[in-house]
Amino acid sequence: MKSLAMKNLRGRPVRSAVLIVLAALLTFTALGGTLTVASLGKGLDSLEARLGADVMVVPKEATMKKKFEDIVLQGATGYFYMDSKRAQAVMEREGVGEVSPQFFLASTGSSCCSIPVQIIGIDPATDFTVSPWIKRTYGGELGLYDIVAGSDLNAFVGDKLSFYGVECRVAAKLEKTGTSYDTTVFTNEDTIKALISSSLEKGMNDFEDVDPENCVSCLMINAADGTSPEELVNDINIHVKKVKAYKSGDMISGIAGSLSGVSRMIKLLIAAVWVLGLVILLLAFTMSVNERKKEFAVLRVMGASRGKLAGLVLKEALLTCLTGSLGGAAVGLLVLIPFNGVIEQTLGLPFLLPNFGSIAGICTAAVVLSVLTGAAAAAVSAWRVSRIDTGLILRGEN
Amino acid sequence: MKRTGKEWILGILLLICSLGMSAGVKLCFHACGPKEDGSYMTCHWAEQAVFTIGCVMAVISVLLLIVSNNGMRRGLALALVPAGAGAALIPNTMIKLCMMTDMHCHSVMKPAVIVLGIAAAVLGALYAVICKGEKA
Repeated sequence: MKSLAMKNLRGRPVRSAVLIVLAALLTFTALGGTLTVASLGKGLDSLEARLGADVMVVPKEATMKKKFEDIVLQGATGYFYMDSKRAQAVMEREGVGEVSPQFFLASTGSSCCSIPVQIIGIDPATDFTVSPWIKRTYGGELGLYDIVAGSDLNAFVGDKLSFYGVECRVAAKLEKTGTSYDTTVFTNEDTIKALISSSLEKGMNDFEDVDPENCVSCLMINAADGTSPEELVNDINIHVKKVKAYKSGDMISGIAGSLSGVSRMIKLLIAAVWVLGLVILLLAFTMSVNERKKEFAVLRVMGASRGKLAGLVLKEALLTCLTGSLGGAAVGLLVLIPFNGVIEQTLGLPFLLPNFGSIAGICTAAVVLSVLTGAAAAAVSAWRVSRIDTGLILRGEN
Repeated sequence: MKRTGKEWILGILLLICSLGMSAGVKLCFHACGPKEDGSYMTCHWAEQAVFTIGCVMAVISVLLLIVSNNGMRRGLALALVPAGAGAALIPNTMIKLCMMTDMHCHSVMKPAVIVLGIAAAVLGALYAVICKGEKA
């Protein structure tokens, strides 16, 4: 019977090919959509984990900058500074718990590429946002001119990178985050101040009057016990001039909103394709069984039981759906895994592929779901085949 | 000897992969453009290398469709295996690409060349196996 099912499929190559393509499309949509939604979710989780502070304080003029949120949230290239007095005034407010400054600088095109790299300086003694993340891959202390490269930078431990004429050594490489932080360079306070000085000497810094020894770009703050982040944000915004405090959760809400919109659209698309696919499969199997009634009647006359005929229809459906699903899954993986960088750039949202186990799980689920859908669509036709009246059909009365 | 339908299909697929690689690397999944001073980054030379190997593979694929001798066809198909694998190894493994992996050469050229190169190598091996299975 299995060989008969194969022969039937080979005997009608066009019909079989259409069903295989349809099953492939169903699996591709389910796998691609689910993997994209999962990657967006993981990217957002990663971004939230990277923020790690309750409140972020930046100079007021920075908020006028184009792409301001991308700079502070996602490590997009750009920089701004405020003098240490303003930072000190913020630190002295009641309700401020842990506090650590960060320093931003964007490189000019380096020797290897024409696109600038964002450089973020941290104070290792006080930092509580980036250091835990760096410690996952680098346990040592960052020395002068040591840098930690984001995972998407094509630089490896021990490589030398030159910024504003200062040669820096790559001490470690970070894990992938799915955000622009993957193309960011992290370093300590002394190195970033040396780089800012060098950029000023070369006349390549927009802030010509900035004093590298007395400036910071932003303050990362955790509220003290008994103070809520909202209260701290309000207190700083009311009492400290020329700065703007943000609650981290509020800053990320814009990205979370876009991500939820994209996820909703993808889920809607998956549902539409599946409903359409199910209807087409139902029609295809019904039409196929209708036009093959005489063939089934002859098989009945030759001694095939009703169950065997139903089994034949189901086997044909399972074979086509399994072949198509495996093909669709292979194409889906070939598109999504190697080209995830293009998808991330196109969506403009944090995008981090799940680990291998999760991808394998999603892939298996998509294949099983597609095969079961095909089997369910064929089950109706199989039931009808098992009920045919051989005599009527062979006499040509049905 | 007359070739089978499977050989025709594999031959045409190999030609598509090879032409896709040589033309695609110049038209759609090209490397990054020149810098402001007009000089090229290293990914440009990876693009040139892939283009050259792609052209060689395209010529071999055309010969695969023309040559009637079974043994020669097998040899040509086998030649595509290291050529395809070699092409897949060029971006970033043999010739370093740009510094940031979100740049065009990393995000588009590299995966496209790897997929096409491996596809050509697998199809070439499959063609050789099919040819071997047939009586001369």
